Amino acid sequence: MSAVAVEGVWKFYGDYPALRDIRLEAPPGSCLALIGRNGAGKTTLLRIVAGFSKAQRGKIKIHGNDPRSTETRRQLGFLGHGIAVYDELSALENLTLFGKLYSLADPRKSALEWLERTGLERVRNGLVREFSRGMRQRLAVARAFLHEPSVLLLDEPFTALDDRAIAVLQRLLREALAAGKTIVMSTHQLREALELATHVALLSRGQLAFHGQCTPEMVADPGYIYAQYGEA
Amino acid sequence: MRFFRQIAVVAFKDLRAELRTKEAINASLAFSIVILLLFSFAFDPSEDTMREISGGLLWIVFAFAGTLMLNRSFARELPNDCLDALIAAPLPASALFLGKCFANYALVLAVELVSLPVFGIFYNVRWTKQFPELLLVLLLGTWALTVIGTIFSALTVNIKLREVMLPMLTYPILIPALMSAMQLTTALVSGTAIGADNIDSLKMLIGFDIVFTAVSLVLVDTVLVG
Amino acid sequence: MRDALISFFGSGAPVALAAAVVALVGSVAFLRTRNFLYDALALAATKTGFALLAAALAAGVLWSRTAAGVWWAWDTRLTAALVCGLVYAAYLMLRRAIEEPTERATSAAVVSIFAFLDAPLAAIAIAWWRARRALPPEGGPPPGWGTLASGNVLAMLLAGAALTVILLRREERRRAQDAARRAALTL
Repeated sequence: MSAVAVEGVWKFYGDYPALRDIRLEAPPGSCLALIGRNGAGKTTLLRIVAGFSKAQRGKIKIHGNDPRSTETRRQLGFLGHGIAVYDELSALENLTLFGKLYSLADPRKSALEWLERTGLERVRNGLVREFSRGMRQRLAVARAFLHEPSVLLLDEPFTALDDRAIAVLQRLLREALAAGKTIVMSTHQLREALELATHVALLSRGQLAFHGQCTPEMVADPGYIYAQYGEA
Repeated sequence: MRFFRQIAVVAFKDLRAELRTKEAINASLAFSIVILLLFSFAFDPSEDTMREISGGLLWIVFAFAGTLMLNRSFARELPNDCLDALIAAPLPASALFLGKCFANYALVLAVELVSLPVFGIFYNVRWTKQFPELLLVLLLGTWALTVIGTIFSALTVNIKLREVMLPMLTYPILIPALMSAMQLTTALVSGTAIGADNIDSLKMLIGFDIVFTAVSLVLVDTVLVG
Repeated sequence: MRDALISFFGSGAPVALAAAVVALVGSVAFLRTRNFLYDALALAATKTGFALLAAALAAGVLWSRTAAGVWWAWDTRLTAALVCGLVYAAYLMLRRAIEEPTERATSAAVVSIFAFLDAPLAAIAIAWWRARRALPPEGGPPPGWGTLASGNVLAMLLAGAALTVILLRREERRRAQDAARRAALTL
């Protein structure tokens, strides 16, 4: 059973089809890089997979289950464009809050652990409002990984990250893959993504132009995929 | 039970965030005092007149000041896309909704309980004659305000004209509840206990609360996820 | 002549009530099936009901002035209709404030359900309020507002149905144009 299965998904805005008959799969333990130009539908698709919006036709299955069910949501980690942590709370308070929402056994302990793993333990009582951009991004990563999700969904995670945050994220993603977790990441930064990816899917104007394994040619020349399968 | 714990987590999160910045609660309090002051300039302070308009005046103040607070309810989740994180979290939309309702309820009640003595002082009206029953009306009426305000706060969260649309939706829908609360408050401030001639207003308030709490709980998932 | 007109437009009130029921059915049907036809129906029915109600209210105000000498006598039906009008006006305003069609239809459907549940509560509250205020007892419903079986009501019903169909077609056309426009933008 695939970890993430997109089965014939169509998404309409009114009568306009933003996504047309998308069929793809991410086997467990794989890292799927979802690439495409702006407006191709990457974010739309990812948000449907995450359960933020509903497809008008077709289904999403996460480990065979509906993404909106409570058990599935516990296994999903999402990192979007916004950092999704509260400015008025401290780093520790934020992570403890999410730990409680995810019903972790010891929210505070998990929070401290992940602050450590993202290099934020010294500023744990600082308010997020006062953090630098890089620190905010690392906290966002901590929040996404906090509950040890088995499926990670990342929307352009490397965009606007500083070097330190990129290094942290890449390390965590490699560790997650080594632990058998599944990653689906949409990206513009082809190089960083293709280094980690095992599979690639190219979206072009709402349709799937290519879906398959990540080959050495792709890693060597990221423009290769666009040249072969999509618009230049 | 996990459901109740999650409601508490959301409620305390909202309360902590609000009490740390105090933006909405200060604005709400200031607003209520300004309105009370303005109206005291407008009316000739004979005690009978004051008692007659007490219910209407108080609930207008509560509704307006309350809406200021309720607007923030889901709007506070917009910076940094926190709303996404809450929707993605494994808690039912109804738990998220009730958590926010309870936080809003506490905050709006706090503003109201400060406004009452201010009202008493400005208008020289003794409002404590039927206090337990007045408190009951306050609790029921504020719940109506909170439920409608919170569900529409969720509905309008992504709209550009949110500050305009929220009052436009909330006030007309609240008319039955506000009418009943106003009538009961006027009677109680004047010293009349809740009796045969008032009881239907109380029934209307309770009925309103039950109906709209139920409908909101059923529809909140649709409102948030679509 | 004037009385006939007042009576005629007043008959729009019961039809407006029927339109509200149609709007509710459309809204609930949309939420269950996500078929935009039901959303268009709900919108058309609400607009029709709103127009009929506005005309009926105007007629009622005119009647109040000519029969009782005051523009607004806080008549139960007229006041309740005014409140309902405000609630559905909020529905129409909300629709204009949301760009994205699916979000617009979903949010509007929710508001429509709230509006429909609120209307009877408002009517009851107003009736009780009148009784308590000890206002002079009402002479009767405004002309046209009280009866369901009259030629005027039938005429209004047909006019309302026709208007609803016209508005429905217009909304469907607008949606198709909107889709074409979005498609053109991304190509």
